[in-house]
Amino acid sequence: MLVVRKQNWCNMSFLTASRLSRNFDLSEPWILRKIKGQPKKLLKAVDNASFLVERGQTYALVGESGSGKSTIAMMVAGLLKPSSGTVTINGDNFFEPSQNKIKRIAMRKSVQMIFQSPYASLNPRWRVGDILKEPIVTFNLIEDENDQNRHACELLEQVGLFSKDMSKFPHEFSGGQRQRICIARALACKPEIIICDEPTSALDVSVQAQVLNLLKDLQREFSLTYLFISHDLAVVSTMANKIGVLKQGILVEEATPYKLFSYPEHDYTKMLLSAAPDISKPY
Amino acid sequence: MAIEAPKPLLEVRNLDVTLKKRDTFFKVLDDLSFHVYPGEILGLVGESGAGKSMTGSAILGLIEKPLFISKGEIIFNGQRIENNAISVRGSLISMVFQDPLISLNPLRRIGDQLVETIRTHISLDKKQAITSAKNLLEEVGIDKNRFHDYPHTFSGGMRQRVVIALALAPRPSLIIADEPTTALDVSVQAQILALLKRLCKERGTSIILITHDMGVIAETADRVAVLYSGSLAEIGATFEVLSNPMHPYTQGLIAATPRIDPETLNKKLYQIPGKMPNLSEIPDGCPFHKRCLQTTPQCYQVKPPLLYERASCWLLENKTGAI
Repeated sequence: MLVVRKQNWCNMSFLTASRLSRNFDLSEPWILRKIKGQPKKLLKAVDNASFLVERGQTYALVGESGSGKSTIAMMVAGLLKPSSGTVTINGDNFFEPSQNKIKRIAMRKSVQMIFQSPYASLNPRWRVGDILKEPIVTFNLIEDENDQNRHACELLEQVGLFSKDMSKFPHEFSGGQRQRICIARALACKPEIIICDEPTSALDVSVQAQVLNLLKDLQREFSLTYLFISHDLAVVSTMANKIGVLKQGILVEEATPYKLFSYPEHDYTKMLLSAAPDISKPY
Repeated sequence: MAIEAPKPLLEVRNLDVTLKKRDTFFKVLDDLSFHVYPGEILGLVGESGAGKSMTGSAILGLIEKPLFISKGEIIFNGQRIENNAISVRGSLISMVFQDPLISLNPLRRIGDQLVETIRTHISLDKKQAITSAKNLLEEVGIDKNRFHDYPHTFSGGMRQRVVIALALAPRPSLIIADEPTTALDVSVQAQILALLKRLCKERGTSIILITHDMGVIAETADRVAVLYSGSLAEIGATFEVLSNPMHPYTQGLIAATPRIDPETLNKKLYQIPGKMPNLSEIPDGCPFHKRCLQTTPQCYQVKPPLLYERASCWLLENKTGAI
């Protein structure tokens, strides 16, 4: 029985997005629309996007701002309901009507996010220890307060900070260190998928290298699955196992990094590649 | 080469900017010297806190208490710039800031903002100023008909174009662009950089491009100066610095930059150990020695001067024929 189940796991992708769409309603209020006789105005933020991510792999979404990268991230995290299509994580769907509450909480626990700006995503009035303990308390992972503190200390050490930093406030840290705190917070409830929404675009090059390497080490250690969102193709090339290129909500190309950078097919991908500043060809 | 070089437009000589905090003094910029020649793009690179923007402010004379210029001078067009020199600021040297969302007044039409800037610096009547403003908009690639639009109706890249038009309005001979593309997308960034390059060529304007992205430098700058905790680490022609970096910090920065290369996919990036010191913790000797992997005993004691007009590093002393 166990063997069969394991085989099933291997065959099925860990994270599946199938025919995912999301529309935003930009039309005027109903009454004005009726008076003026206008139809509904819909913005298709994501249009029929499908992709698969295997366990322990990194899938990168690339595109300009407004291409729907973050909308997909929100739908994968279960924060936004898709207009049509489904996201399944390990076979479970957030928005299935029959889904029970306990299962939904368990799913929330398995998907965590790291946001773009480490300056805006940490509460300035909370101590680092409290920030790290919040997910542990929310999901009721550890009852005893001493154990909670010990776990938070371990998390800090895993991301390269020190346990004495527990009682500090976020403003006492630099940008790179704050992003490490965000990573530690994301790791706190032992997730399986981490959605990294432009995790390094607010950071310096040398700090960016540290954060990207840390993310790679953690991926190997905890066999994490990453959904990596970025507009920087160079960053993506060091992280991804597979890259999806988004243009105005449509997934125009999907390929392995080697194939995408050597033989890009879609014009939009070629444009993105030629626009990316490249250090190896000085002007 | 030094003999044939034209007269520099801007010369920064041994500039020290000091921060006074109670009774202690911290050096924000330490013995910084460089030139900008007419019609060239000089890139200033470094991590945040390296003093890139401070250099820009010092050139514009925007240093205010508790900061002050404790040593050195800035010479523009053969004349020394005093601090708070309003005659130069805006008219001969103008600035493009990082965030186009906050450097335009949201309550005024862009046309009015342009006309105001033009008339502050050049004596033109209103009609002439309007035509001149419309020409400027065309030059940076914005339709004339958008003259009467408000900033919020423009996208980020378009707004940065408006800001560049504002900077060009008084016909300056030097533009300081402080991270002009950091808030923008890659494709828009490429457009803005191309625009800056074109303006530099057509008008003969010099540009100081402040950025932390080595890729941007590689694409645009003629020469590059690498700053590390307030001092100059390395300076030279972009091609030479990028292909043959002399200072260990430059080497580290270049190795840490991710690049699009099918050969290096999924490899770990190089990490410079440690982090840049605080103002109060800058060590004696070479400011980089704590993070450097190639130190000699000299590095701990004496701060290296700029050797061979290239890099401030003692390692160069023994490599006479290397450059």
